[in-house]
Amino acid sequence: MTRYIIRRLLQAIPLLLIISIILFFLMQNMGDPLATMGGRKVTKPEDRLRLARQLGLDKPGCVQYVYWLIGNDWTKPIGEIPEPNAGIFTPIIQCLDPRNYIDSENPGVRKGVLRGDWGISLVNRQPVTKVIGERLGNTLLLMVTAETVIILGALLIGIYSALHQYTAIDNIITATTFILYSMPVFFFALLAMYLFSVNFRRWGLPYLPTVGMFEPGAGQTPSQVAWHMILPVATLSFGFIAGYSRYIRSTMLETLGQDYVRTAKAKGLPHPEVIYIHALKNAALPIVTLVALDLPFLLGGAIVTERIFGWPGMGRLFLDHVSRTDTAVVMGIMMMIAVAVIVFQIIADVTYAWLDPRIRYK
Amino acid sequence: MRRKHLLFTIIMIVSLVLSACATASTPTAVVTEVPAVEQPTEAPVVEQPTEAPPAEKKVVTFVWTQEFDTLSPIYTNMWFVSVIYPAYMCPAWLFDDQNAAFPYLVAEIPSIENGGLSSDGRTFTLKLRDDIVWSDGEPITSADFKFTYDMIMSDKNAVNTRSPYDQIESFETPDERTVVITFTEPFAPWLATLFSGSTSGTPILPEHILRPVFEADGTLDTAEWNTAPTVGCGPFVFEEWQSGSFARFVANDNFWLGRPKLDELFFQFVPDDASMIAALIAGDGDIGTFFAYSDVPQLKEAGITILNSFSGYNEGWYINMHEEKGNPALKDVRVRQALAYGFNREKLVQDLLLGLTGVAATDWDVSPWVDPTITPYPYDPEKAKALLADAGWADTNGDGTVDKDGVELILKYGTTNREVRQNTQAVAQQDLAAVGIGIDLQSFDADLFFSSYQDDGPSANFSLDIIEYSDSPDFPDPNTAIWNCSDIPSDENPAGTSPTGLCDDKLDALFLKQRSQVDFTERQQTFYEITRYIYDQAFWIGLWLDPDLFGFSNRMINVKMSGATPFFNIAEWDLTP
Amino acid sequence: MKNVAESGLLQPKPGIPILSPDELETPPLSLGQLTWRRFRRHRMAIFGSVTLFLIIIYAFGGMLVFSEADANRTDTGNALQPPSREHPYGTDTIGRDILARTIYGGQISIIIGLTAMVMEVILGVSIGSIAGFFGGKIDSFLMRMTEAMLIIPQIFLLLVIARIWAQSIPNLKLMGRTFSGSVLVIVFVIGITSWPYLARIVRAQFLSVKENDYILAARATGTSTRDIIIRHILPNSSAPIIVSATLSVAAAITLEAYISFLGLGVRPPTATWGNMLEGAYNYIETAWWLWFFPGMLIALTVLSINFLGDGLRDALDPHSRAA
Repeated sequence: MTRYIIRRLLQAIPLLLIISIILFFLMQNMGDPLATMGGRKVTKPEDRLRLARQLGLDKPGCVQYVYWLIGNDWTKPIGEIPEPNAGIFTPIIQCLDPRNYIDSENPGVRKGVLRGDWGISLVNRQPVTKVIGERLGNTLLLMVTAETVIILGALLIGIYSALHQYTAIDNIITATTFILYSMPVFFFALLAMYLFSVNFRRWGLPYLPTVGMFEPGAGQTPSQVAWHMILPVATLSFGFIAGYSRYIRSTMLETLGQDYVRTAKAKGLPHPEVIYIHALKNAALPIVTLVALDLPFLLGGAIVTERIFGWPGMGRLFLDHVSRTDTAVVMGIMMMIAVAVIVFQIIADVTYAWLDPRIRYK
Repeated sequence: MRRKHLLFTIIMIVSLVLSACATASTPTAVVTEVPAVEQPTEAPVVEQPTEAPPAEKKVVTFVWTQEFDTLSPIYTNMWFVSVIYPAYMCPAWLFDDQNAAFPYLVAEIPSIENGGLSSDGRTFTLKLRDDIVWSDGEPITSADFKFTYDMIMSDKNAVNTRSPYDQIESFETPDERTVVITFTEPFAPWLATLFSGSTSGTPILPEHILRPVFEADGTLDTAEWNTAPTVGCGPFVFEEWQSGSFARFVANDNFWLGRPKLDELFFQFVPDDASMIAALIAGDGDIGTFFAYSDVPQLKEAGITILNSFSGYNEGWYINMHEEKGNPALKDVRVRQALAYGFNREKLVQDLLLGLTGVAATDWDVSPWVDPTITPYPYDPEKAKALLADAGWADTNGDGTVDKDGVELILKYGTTNREVRQNTQAVAQQDLAAVGIGIDLQSFDADLFFSSYQDDGPSANFSLDIIEYSDSPDFPDPNTAIWNCSDIPSDENPAGTSPTGLCDDKLDALFLKQRSQVDFTERQQTFYEITRYIYDQAFWIGLWLDPDLFGFSNRMINVKMSGATPFFNIAEWDLTP
Repeated sequence: MKNVAESGLLQPKPGIPILSPDELETPPLSLGQLTWRRFRRHRMAIFGSVTLFLIIIYAFGGMLVFSEADANRTDTGNALQPPSREHPYGTDTIGRDILARTIYGGQISIIIGLTAMVMEVILGVSIGSIAGFFGGKIDSFLMRMTEAMLIIPQIFLLLVIARIWAQSIPNLKLMGRTFSGSVLVIVFVIGITSWPYLARIVRAQFLSVKENDYILAARATGTSTRDIIIRHILPNSSAPIIVSATLSVAAAITLEAYISFLGLGVRPPTATWGNMLEGAYNYIETAWWLWFFPGMLIALTVLSINFLGDGLRDALDPHSRAA
């Protein structure tokens, strides 16, 4: 098993490299971070040139990638490098010319990602780790709560549905879950906001807040945060609860039909024990995999939900920095998610093998 | 067994939620509901058990739709930051509600009479006041000015802009109270840009705090002070900033003009306009800005006072006049004028902007620099059609758009994707279709739209015939650098900023002249000529005046707005008792 | 199955009732008929198909009632009117009729869904089949690419790519309608980020079908690779592909709505259900009709397609329920 894990980890390295190259390339073509650096006005030309030089944005894309990966504290200024005039092949020639890599006007202080330095945000010049760190906690709070609600809700509804198959309630639940599952997240968010915030307020009922993590006047207390979390968590969970509960329902039904369950019942074991200890344990196995695979996407935060509810998390961070073409922060977020996905995939596989003795990995 | 655990967990969660309900539902609404009642009796109901500030604390809540990027004046790119400089930073002078400069750090505004301004317009002498101190008690001296200048010009700092400091020839500090700055050429726009309080000026940095940081790190880019300027010098001083949520500034007891009337400024960051409006109407916030005109009636109904401060921004169309890349049809002034006559901008402003602002005629409107005889082109579709016919355009194939020599007159019109601009595009398309001009609409994300020539930004590569956005000169100074031949972006000059690509010798000469005319009346005459010329040639067609809209709750008093320094009298703001 | 009585195996035994030939066997059903039968039993699938049909008539048939000019006609004096007899769905921020816009917007949204699905199917099936059939190094390489794309959450990729191609394509004219080139961009972007899901399914199918004897037989008789793939393996793997393709239409429509909501979708004035929601939530209190109608339509369409897909899955491949 250890060998398996190590092998998977080693396989992951070239994968991460490919991902980082793809993402970096995409970010390079995304737009000009200097465009809106003038604030409300268009950036002045001298400033644009100077900032491009100072922020290292005048270098070809491949050079910027290398600096991102291994830093630029080993470079030194070597003076003017003539820019090749090869039309469409210019970028390729620039990428292959080693002088472009060695030359850096401000021999930098960046150590590169491989040495733990994720760079500086173009938006506010703060270290990327600090920028992301500030928001990570908020997102984790929201997502872990949502995930817990999802698991509990899905289990409850799925088991109930399976046990009461074909009754009226089961049909209602099935239809409702389908509807909820098909609704786009933001439509649900809008409806929820409209009903519970706007209309409840109009009707004088205690209403849920629409925006932010807490009321400014009251401060960031646990009860404030919990109150503000209700709508976003509900929005995030409903779709997943719907999907997972159907899944649990079908696996439960399949398991309940198995011979060993019939044997257990025939032996006279109490009903709850049969369901929860024998059937559920086996039916819930695939859920473990699903949950483990979902967890890393929690890090991305639910972009749309955070936008609508103004939750200060990673999703909003991503949106804000993507629109300012802040490569360092966006790369930081995406690589973090990629690493988390890979790690969790391995954890899911290992856990699955551990829980199900029939599976053996070479 | 399992079921019991599940049940228990659910009960826990539900009770947590219910307890949160009980305590959280009351606080926010109370603040503005009963302004006339004594504060102390309201206090117990208002606050959370964990936070019980003294009942008299005067906190004003700003509801900002964009969070600060940084609080350092040399790094920020956001208007939402530069507009609050008067709160926690000090420039040499500020502008009052008439947009006239009044001294702040200096004892008096430099002029020829008091020797502050040399007759050749190149040397400026600033004499500082004696009583100015930083919030930690350190006196403010000329060394702080020199340090700020050094930091801006240092190659180690990736500052947001060096203008106009890059045109300075020498910067001397003969003594602690005097700063002497000499420019290489006579510099007319100095009042608006040299350490000024306008949003294009730069307040000064505390040398005693930042020099050690610069020497230790080699740069100020990553200084902690940038996001936590705990030492400042305005009526308020920074207290804390929680990313994504809020920031706080508290009253500065060391402010040399006396402690401000308010105790605290609280900045709440919300994701968009809708939440800001909701917060203002509910009384959760006191100040909001940058809202759509369509929100104004609701706000007024809720008792919010709307003040608009004109800061030189005008929304208009820049017509692509590039020699090679521009549409040849637009080279004819009659076609351009037809665009102006054919688009009913008056109705647009009445309907979309609810008549809350006016149609713009030039990019310098509402300032003393515009030729007073200029009024916006009126809506006259017949005249538009006549002009087109005059220029040789007629609808020969009956498809609705005019054509000439087999080429249909279809113009590409692009802008950013703000809602009001999208709406303007749709209306313009309809109006101009009625006079036979076809319009092809495109819109882009702001970051993409304003990308440079090198990145093929649509506003820089002359692929569009009409581009729309709102720009201002260096308000309150009329200088601007987008009309010269040398500003046109090209392969040789990739950082050029001319949006029209116009190369007109007459205009070039006029702009050159005004830049060195330090005498107000002469300069004004030159600008009369400039504005008249641009207007007659319809190089720029005005859409609407774009003042900054601010909404203030009715519990605030003493608020005055200025176009150049919006919050210039923030030290005097107060709340109704 | 041949008539059992003819085979001679069953001899009438005394005391045991025999069935006459026509009572014994019903005529054999073809695969298509079996599928249809199973489908019919799924009530929700029927409901889904009917609703979908009605929506398509609404979107495309509505062209006969409202012209495109009606959908784009601005009337700023009449902006933000609530639903009334003249404007059954109300008007938007510049006075355009929302009913007409949902009709024309629906056309674009549905077209986006369908074309994105086609693109996704072509890419996914090609890549999945090549990887599954040839195995070895090709499979390894293609699977690395697929995994890389799967690891990055789709919405991130969408946002990033949508911004890159935001400005490239001019307006198009098709079927008498003019619409923004960004429609093509969106289709392309959704197709490009969705194929990995399908590729993985196709590859898994190929890996298992490949081992069957009839494939070995086909190879032994010298059938070309192309023919083996197209005429033997693909038809036998078609069930999950069809189901996946159906559900991906719903996914594409939802994705289009997401990116339009975040401001990167099809550019106005071309309407789609998604971009009608774009600014609408600023008006959540004041003008609910702005977001309600397009949102309901999206939800209904996606719901129907999901029902339909579920029904197809049950009908085509009843074994595919769990895992």
